[in-house]
Amino acid sequence: METNNKPPRWADRFLTWFCSEEVVETVQGDLYELYGKRLSERGKTIARLCYIRDVFDLCRPFAIRRINRITTTDMHKHTLLLVYRSFLRYKSSFFINLIGLSTGLACALLIYFWVSDELNVDKFNTNDARLYQVLANSYDEVNGIQTGPVTPGILAEALAREIPEVEYAASVVPASWFSEQGIISLGEKKIKSKAHYASRDYFNMFSIDFIKGDPRQALADKYGMAISEEMAVKLFKSTANSIGKTVEWMDGTVPGSYHITGVFRNPYHTTSPAEILLNYDVFLDSRPWLREWGNSDPLTFVLLREGADGNTFSNKIKGFIKSKHNESRNTLVAQRFSERYLYGRYENGVPAGGRIEYVRLFSIIAVFILVIACINFMNLSTARASRRENQEKEIGVKKAIGASRYVLFIQYLEESMLMAFLSLIVALALVYILLPQFNQMTGKYLHLSADPRMVLALLGVVLFTGLVAGSYPAMYLSAFRPAEVLKGKLRSSLGERWIRKGLVVFQFAVSVLLIVCVVVVYRQIAYVQSKNLGYNRDNVLHFDGGIRMENSEGFFDEGGKHEKEMETFLQQVRNLPGVTNVANYEHDLTGRHGGLQGVDWKGGKEDERMHFNNLQVGFDFIETMGIRLAEGRSFSSERSKERSKILFNEEAIRVMGLKDPVGKVIRVWGQEKEIIGVAKDFHIESLFEEVRPCIIQLEPRSLKIMVKIKGGAEQETIAQLEKIYQGRNPGLAFDYGFVDDDYQALYVSEQRVSLISRYFAGLTILISSLGLFGLAAFTVEKRTKEIGIRKILGSSNARIAFLLSGDFTKLVLLAILIALPLSFFIARNWLNGFAYSIGLEWWFFLGAALIAMVIPFVAVGIQTIKASRVSPVESLKEE
Amino acid sequence: MKIGAFEEIVLLAVGSLGENAYGVTIKEILQERTGKNPSIGALHSALYRMEGKGYLTSKEGGATHDRGGRKKKYYQLTAFGRKVLIEANALRLSFAEQIPELNFFVK
Repeated sequence: METNNKPPRWADRFLTWFCSEEVVETVQGDLYELYGKRLSERGKTIARLCYIRDVFDLCRPFAIRRINRITTTDMHKHTLLLVYRSFLRYKSSFFINLIGLSTGLACALLIYFWVSDELNVDKFNTNDARLYQVLANSYDEVNGIQTGPVTPGILAEALAREIPEVEYAASVVPASWFSEQGIISLGEKKIKSKAHYASRDYFNMFSIDFIKGDPRQALADKYGMAISEEMAVKLFKSTANSIGKTVEWMDGTVPGSYHITGVFRNPYHTTSPAEILLNYDVFLDSRPWLREWGNSDPLTFVLLREGADGNTFSNKIKGFIKSKHNESRNTLVAQRFSERYLYGRYENGVPAGGRIEYVRLFSIIAVFILVIACINFMNLSTARASRRENQEKEIGVKKAIGASRYVLFIQYLEESMLMAFLSLIVALALVYILLPQFNQMTGKYLHLSADPRMVLALLGVVLFTGLVAGSYPAMYLSAFRPAEVLKGKLRSSLGERWIRKGLVVFQFAVSVLLIVCVVVVYRQIAYVQSKNLGYNRDNVLHFDGGIRMENSEGFFDEGGKHEKEMETFLQQVRNLPGVTNVANYEHDLTGRHGGLQGVDWKGGKEDERMHFNNLQVGFDFIETMGIRLAEGRSFSSERSKERSKILFNEEAIRVMGLKDPVGKVIRVWGQEKEIIGVAKDFHIESLFEEVRPCIIQLEPRSLKIMVKIKGGAEQETIAQLEKIYQGRNPGLAFDYGFVDDDYQALYVSEQRVSLISRYFAGLTILISSLGLFGLAAFTVEKRTKEIGIRKILGSSNARIAFLLSGDFTKLVLLAILIALPLSFFIARNWLNGFAYSIGLEWWFFLGAALIAMVIPFVAVGIQTIKASRVSPVESLKEE
Repeated sequence: MKIGAFEEIVLLAVGSLGENAYGVTIKEILQERTGKNPSIGALHSALYRMEGKGYLTSKEGGATHDRGGRKKKYYQLTAFGRKVLIEANALRLSFAEQIPELNFFVK
């Protein structure tokens, strides 16, 4: 063929590239022949075009070259066999790898479950992106800007009416805000519960499943009541025929008859599950003052219209309250409802994190644990390879007979993937066993399920682990030069040793960091639990006094029949031999207290805006809680006109700048009150909060009762209390709690973090030590001869053990040096979140350093002693 | 017996060409008889497939200059291939018999 008459060169090349040899032989000949014919019949251009077309037409399965298909499957089989053999041969390193990787994976999985569960909280609404909560920023000179969820009672209504972006708005008073329980009754059946109040559009905004009834109509009627599935079962034995039934609801707020309009199911990921839902209008009717802009109580939620921007909306409503009520200094801000759970904390009116910090913390720990487990794998495989007689030679031989670096690389990755996969199986079994305990610790209901996201996550974790663990050994081992390796030349392994050392340092630095953090968290929690709070919460039991309704005139009035009955009841309790003190109360010291403005001590205007914590309590409350008085006296039932007296705490007196406060008369909400005493500062709420100015007022009608019991007399006293209680509230169960438990509950999330992090830190250290243990085993094996010679020359066992652990000790020391300053900063940062915290003691750090030193020392020590006890004859006779 | 319409016609073409059946000649005879230009890829794909099924055998030879020195692959019907063709034909006729206007084919 003439040169210029040849078909297009590139097409020809392409053909020979993709076609198998066998096909090229016949097909190319045919194509050339056709080309020649077309060239003479139809010209060059057509011939060339036809040729190109035919080449592409031939890209069919029969023609395409098979890429080493047979050889690769052989390689896979071979790899599997090699992996299997190396497992058999190096059992200890196999188990170290397996234990390390699988515990690492199990931890990471548990944390993954927890984190993904946290991230899903309150995300169940289909309109999630448009669902916002309106928060109020209040300002006063003492406390600065405080952001809270409490908003004016008619805000939702006004927003829906006046702001065009708002599709629906609802006021909600969550059940958890009520301290006392009400009673729902159907005939003779009585069940204690708390009601949730929500505006009628509530179910248009929140996606809550209805088993019976229409969500849109559930709150349409003012006296309608929606109940949860559980409540329906309790009341009617099933959900089937509850709609339309009438039940009686008794509580201090809105007693009366309601008819059931729907049965709903609380979403799993909700932060405020409800048992009973009532119309907010009923609530508003019982509190007419909430129709004024100056008073706040409910939460406000809005659903924005499609396309409306949350930030624009938030800016728009900033001055909304002021436009209604000129005296108000409160501004509004909107936050996505689903973000409230994780980003709920505000500082100076701007979001400042929240629970998300724990989510981040644990995510970081999970990654660290996995990486540490992977490092073990890397170190062990490269260390194993550096023993000349086995793997290096294997690689040398493979390369010499033609294995490419790529093939070897894949082989090692495959080995680590296989290992990761095996570990995953073990890890899943571990997770399965541990999940119930983990759920208990975290207060969640996590479970293993085969949903696609979970499977994807598992595969992702395995791939990540396999890749990270296998990549370094794969790169390192596949780079061996066959000639040198086979000749037995020792490579200069300086870089390799450095990397291995670096990895060990990293592992231990992380371990030390975790130890310090865990100790600090643990000590802080212990401190919080034992700190003198200014009151005594031991052996104090509390319960609802129970409400007895009577429609007689003035039953609930001051000095009315209810108050008298309550006093009689308290007297009965007081007479029990095991009872030291008893008091009724409206507010308590573990989070359920009120707040008020409008204390006027200067006769001016500006002081009225100061915010006080408000405690409304019965007689003897101060004595029962063991709050001490700095001066003056507390309320006494023997005197008259006690309602016009008040007490303050020392902080309040300090802020108000009053001298000789006892006996002074000030005004609260326009009423004159005489200060009769000053209580020493005591903490209400958790130690995250500083002691704030507090006002204590008398409210002898309070329904809740607190009993201080003599130590040792708990059992019989509780039994006696139950009897008295049943006398007053026939048919109701006697539910009680201890103040100490309530106090502990304030720290639930910290306690959980403390507990979980302790376990995970322990595991991190375990995994790191496992790795070191394995490494030490290899080092010792490598130096068997050296040890033999040393022994012959008269070295003692201890001396040899010391010598061998020296290397590792240096590494761990370096790790400690790196980790201590880091942990100092992290710990200080965390402690700054508490208003009252422990100092960072030097021994936290020294202790962590010691633990980090001792554990690996023991691990290495065991190996070295084992090695040094072998008779030198054994180690030297082989050559 | 599984045989597609295109495969059948290729098989017939190979049979009719006798000793001289290779890629180019098969393509040319198909073009001549059917008036359609079969794609070279489809043709070779069918040939390879039928060789695999045992309808065809092949032998190589006849490298020429205008083939760039590449050998031809000559195809031949096997006994099995012939049987497949006969059966396919019989099937066709059995249907044709039942259509009155097509009866003249048979008788």
